Amino acid sequence: MRLRGVLRFHWARDVDEALSLLRAYEGKGAILAGGVDLARSARTDIEGLIDITGTGLSYVREDPKGLRIGATTTLSELLFHPLSREYAGGVIAETLRLVAYPALRNVATIGGATVSAHPWADIPTMLVALGAEARWRNEEKEEKASVEELYKTQFRGIFREAILLELVLPHWDGVFVFEKIGRNAGDIALLNVCAGLGLREGKIAWARVAVGARPERGERLPWLEEMLLGKEPDENLWKKAEEEVKERIKVGSDRRASGEWRREVAGVLVRRTLARAAGKAVK
Amino acid sequence: MKIYFELNGRPQYVEVEPGESLLSLLRRLGMKSVKEGCGTGECGVCTVLLDGKPIRSCITFAPKVQGKRVTTLEGLGTLEDPHPLQRAFVEAGAVQCGFCTPGMILTAYALLQENPAPAPYEVREYLVGNLCRCTGYKKIVDAVLLAAKWKREGRWR
Ligand SMILES: Cc1cc2nc3c(=O)[nH]c(=O)nc-3n(C[C@H](O)[C@H](O)[C@H](O)COP(=O)(O)OP(=O)(O)OC[C@H]3O[C@@H](n4cnc5c(N)ncnc54)[C@H](O)[C@@H]3O)c2cc1C
Ligand code: FES
Ligand code: FES
Repeated sequence: MRLRGVLRFHWARDVDEALSLLRAYEGKGAILAGGVDLARSARTDIEGLIDITGTGLSYVREDPKGLRIGATTTLSELLFHPLSREYAGGVIAETLRLVAYPALRNVATIGGATVSAHPWADIPTMLVALGAEARWRNEEKEEKASVEELYKTQFRGIFREAILLELVLPHWDGVFVFEKIGRNAGDIALLNVCAGLGLREGKIAWARVAVGARPERGERLPWLEEMLLGKEPDENLWKKAEEEVKERIKVGSDRRASGEWRREVAGVLVRRTLARAAGKAVK
Repeated sequence: MKIYFELNGRPQYVEVEPGESLLSLLRRLGMKSVKEGCGTGECGVCTVLLDGKPIRSCITFAPKVQGKRVTTLEGLGTLEDPHPLQRAFVEAGAVQCGFCTPGMILTAYALLQENPAPAPYEVREYLVGNLCRCTGYKKIVDAVLLAAKWKREGRWR
């Protein structure tokens, strides 16, 4: 347990209670979901932990807006939920199966993954590609934004005073797939890609591609998405996409991989995901 | 603060620090099969079962087990009466230094509850977060498959 200095632990009964506890701590309280991230935090200023796993935010539902996933739903609950397995060609299960290992997924929550949003993580890349919307509440009001927009802001500051309630994944007429490269099956990504395609009369009607662990957090490649529109999905197109990505993607080096390696591999990984998505979309 | 939980079938009403790890609590209670390797959730030696599901006790806050069931290796078998999974690990030669073994066995136990007939790749997939520095994994997978066979033969449930 790296986190030190905790003086009190609270089980919040509902979101209102959690928010008022958060305010009472004046910055020295933290929302606790699965806790796998907080336990590893080197912060020493947290006096109170506010557990929100009993506040009714664990659910997966479907409505006309899309798939609604409560923030404290664990990654295992989501992975095995029939609704998420059917969603957008099964991309949720495909991604979550590659996130860590069962013992972590049994505890870690989708809300915790969205807020911690490690740049190397797979879940943010998937959420950005899928156009997920986040809904949260502070003591004054409820707000929402796309996860993509949220990640362009100082979102960690928002969640020092607010609770993420749920994520809404829109319905897509097409399929998404996810690919990750790590040193071994349970390791974090050196690079990850989530791509989705919709086909109409044999042509690409829409495309969404996000690349993460660059080593920066997952971001879409709008220039690539635009290039794919209206084209016939075939090997030549995927080859062109690979070249375009190698030329234009913003990558960098860290202690895990060099920028040079990431540039080369990003092209290949995007080609693979697109080809696989097209294959699945045709079926 | 005081919490109530069930440890290996026995009720516990114990004092915990609000920021204490479950690993520390369990060792304080004498469960020395629960070991600390990395302390950051990455190696799997501290794995225990919470309501039957594997979790990492080093990155679990102890108060979180309030009202729940915790199982450690001590709750599966004893030296005199080992659990079939423990016997399978011995029979397959899946133990060298033994440091990873409690976590491996508890994780394997959870796998076999979910899936009594796993393929070798499914065993590997489920144990992916449990690291072993000695065996090279092959004999561990063999041991789990052997225990699975015994389970299907009705030799344990
Ligand atoms: C060993 C390990 C391996 C991992 N491997 C992967 C991987 O392969 N791929 C991947 O994508 N990710 C990976 N992760 C990241 C993992 O998915 C996240 O750490 C996890 O989902 C966090 O969820 P949690 O519920 O435990 O969060 P917590 O630790 O409870 O919280 C994390 C942060 O979010 C805040 N928070 C949590 N919930 C809310 C909420 N509802 N509202 C407001 N704030 C909130 C907390 O205050 C805290 O700051 C890994 C993590 C670990 C520890
Ligand atoms: S000690 Fe808990 S996972 Fe390594
Ligand atoms: S037997 Fe030594 S670490 Fe696995």
